Amino acid sequence: MNSALIGELVRLRYKLLWAKTRSRNGRIALFLAGYLLLVMLVALLSTGGFGAAMLAVRSGKAEAIARGVLSVLFLEAVLAANILGFGMSAIFSETELRRYPLTAADRRTARHLTGILDPFWFLFLALELGLMVGLYVLGAGSFWFGLLGVLLLFAANYLLARVVGLFIDQLMQRKGGAAILLALIMILAFVPALAGPVIRENPAILSALLLRLQYTPPFGAAAAMIHADLAGARGLGITAAWILGLGALLVWLEKRPPQRQTTESVKIEWDSPFDRVGALFGPQMGPLVGHWLRFYGRNNRTRMLYLLALPLLTFVTFQMSERLGPYRYFIIALGTIPMATFLGTSRISVNQFGYVGGAFRRYFLLPIDPAATLRAASYAAVTIGASVLPIALLAFAILVPYGGDARILLMLLCSGVTGLFVLNGLGVWVTLFNPRKGNYNSNFGNDLSLGGNILLIGGMMLAMFLPRLLHKFQPALVSPESWWIWLPLPLLAVVFYRATLKSAGPIFVTRREKLLAIVEGRD
Amino acid sequence: MDAIRITNLVKKYGQKLAVENLSLSVRAGTMFGFLGPNGSGKSTTIGCMTGLLDATSGAIELLGQRFNADNAAIKRRIGVMPETLGLFEPLYAHEFLAFVARMFGLDEATTRLRVTELLAALELTDTSKTLSEYSTGMRKRVAFAAAVIHSPEVLFLDEPFESIDPAGVSLMKQWLRRFTEQGRTVFITSHVLETVERVCQEVAIVTAPGKLVWQGDITALANDGAVVHNGQEFRALEPLFLHLTGERYTDLKWL
Repeated sequence: MNSALIGELVRLRYKLLWAKTRSRNGRIALFLAGYLLLVMLVALLSTGGFGAAMLAVRSGKAEAIARGVLSVLFLEAVLAANILGFGMSAIFSETELRRYPLTAADRRTARHLTGILDPFWFLFLALELGLMVGLYVLGAGSFWFGLLGVLLLFAANYLLARVVGLFIDQLMQRKGGAAILLALIMILAFVPALAGPVIRENPAILSALLLRLQYTPPFGAAAAMIHADLAGARGLGITAAWILGLGALLVWLEKRPPQRQTTESVKIEWDSPFDRVGALFGPQMGPLVGHWLRFYGRNNRTRMLYLLALPLLTFVTFQMSERLGPYRYFIIALGTIPMATFLGTSRISVNQFGYVGGAFRRYFLLPIDPAATLRAASYAAVTIGASVLPIALLAFAILVPYGGDARILLMLLCSGVTGLFVLNGLGVWVTLFNPRKGNYNSNFGNDLSLGGNILLIGGMMLAMFLPRLLHKFQPALVSPESWWIWLPLPLLAVVFYRATLKSAGPIFVTRREKLLAIVEGRD
Repeated sequence: MDAIRITNLVKKYGQKLAVENLSLSVRAGTMFGFLGPNGSGKSTTIGCMTGLLDATSGAIELLGQRFNADNAAIKRRIGVMPETLGLFEPLYAHEFLAFVARMFGLDEATTRLRVTELLAALELTDTSKTLSEYSTGMRKRVAFAAAVIHSPEVLFLDEPFESIDPAGVSLMKQWLRRFTEQGRTVFITSHVLETVERVCQEVAIVTAPGKLVWQGDITALANDGAVVHNGQEFRALEPLFLHLTGERYTDLKWL
């Protein structure tokens, strides 16, 4: 094994991470990330690591609590790695590594070492070690068995995250892959909520489930932490077996890279729905809006989020509506319907040019007002978002007993239109002042800028909790009797949106060189 | 008549000077080579001349009219093949070309006709691949097609021949010759000096930061003649270029 060269590559990975701090945005991101990580670390170490160990020992249920904590950390790491992209960004892909004098095995080692030696994974390792040390110090665990258990669990966790990531990538390359993935996500989202009542009615299911969970890495590691005997060795064996299995699965998946579905020859289609919808914006803007609709429509993640938005937010509406009175679904829907209009296009709406790369130049070579492209991109997002509204309102009218009340539907429509224009207007400002170079083809991971994250996550939080707060402190505002109060809101939102586009145009033109440097990755 | 006239062009990125007081003019109907070492400001100059970048100071005239980034009327009369090609990766070639054609004001029927003809002529008939799946040479052909689809009067080509196979280069050269014979102008940057020598009538050489060191007629080189500079005779463009830019081959003993 060429350990010297692999070591150089790992060092290079950290140099590249550090290089990001040379830009102003990089320093801000580093500061905020560091601050958040520190807060999270302190909070989790006190409650999730050492604190959990203390709780485990004092309650006399050391193994049960260790199993719970390790299972949660295990799943969180897999989800965060694949959804937020932490520790998974393949800085050194197989193609990149092929330029160095490394064997296939060396390349695999280098790739996974650079992946696992990521600050993100260290955080999880620290939490697991915190629990292990806590249990040992308080006399409820074995140091060496526990340490081995944590290290094996750490390796299994990373391997599972990689396997899931590769599986998703390969699935998304297949025809209908987005739909299959959507179905899987929906199942994952609904199962815990559906399983709760079933388990409460049939406690035997829980015992049977726990029996089977003994064969999972977190339970295996928990056994190793607590028992320094045959039971602990069995736990280590189970985790090691998972590592072997996941390792083999990973190698198998890596050996069959994603195959894009292609056909021999495709008849040229001149009349596409994108252009037909774009034509509604007139002869000047039509081709540009059509172009942007195609850009949104071809994006896997936009398609997936668009399909996912309504079912997900319907689920949220039903889940969050407890203790809100007879109009509970309506109150929550006042927040979820506006988000449904934005979620699908959100990733590109808050970073319109971050995914076009060098093609950004093209907009300035066209014989048009350059700001027209900013407007066209936003019109496309608004058009796609608006298409969700009638479906959302129809679904509400059908699913909710009082859904046919015209006042309620009107209020929901007002709320949806307001959210659509306000969020897309804010998206234009984030596009201008906090863009980020992103990968159009990546299916998972969070590649939004800080501003994009604030708008998206902040918007979601506001949508979830503002109607509840209004219901609590100003119930009249969310009562169907006050339907007329909501009428001016869409108008105000449209005024804000139009003012945004008008004032953002000249800013876009003056900031174009800065934007160009960012989207081409030179900033 | 000058198709392009640049007067005292200065471009700064912050405090960094990229183009220093550049002045040059290009006659209509000329194939003009704009040469210089890497980082000498060629692409920046083209960026200023085509509306991508704002000049810090100086004036640019295209086709007899003052040009700036907002001048859509002039942009409609020029074609540009940028250095980075500027392709929308998720699109198919015909979609991209049709989009560019429509933006340049071509009607539906003309758009379809020209896209079909260009795709066939440039052998871009594999319609099952998006632009992101094309090879570098094919992508360059698409960018070239996008630059000429609206039949512009001035064509800016930033390194057009690199990565294209000999047959493609030959076809492009043939088109460009016909283009200039019709009185239209081609402004080329390239590092392939042999090709520039054969296709261009006039050449300007710049050194960093965008400083003009020589401009002159090179038609003699294509007819086995010579270009004379400061009493020194140059029978090819490469020695002249190396002489003017101060580029030297460094010998590495271990190589």
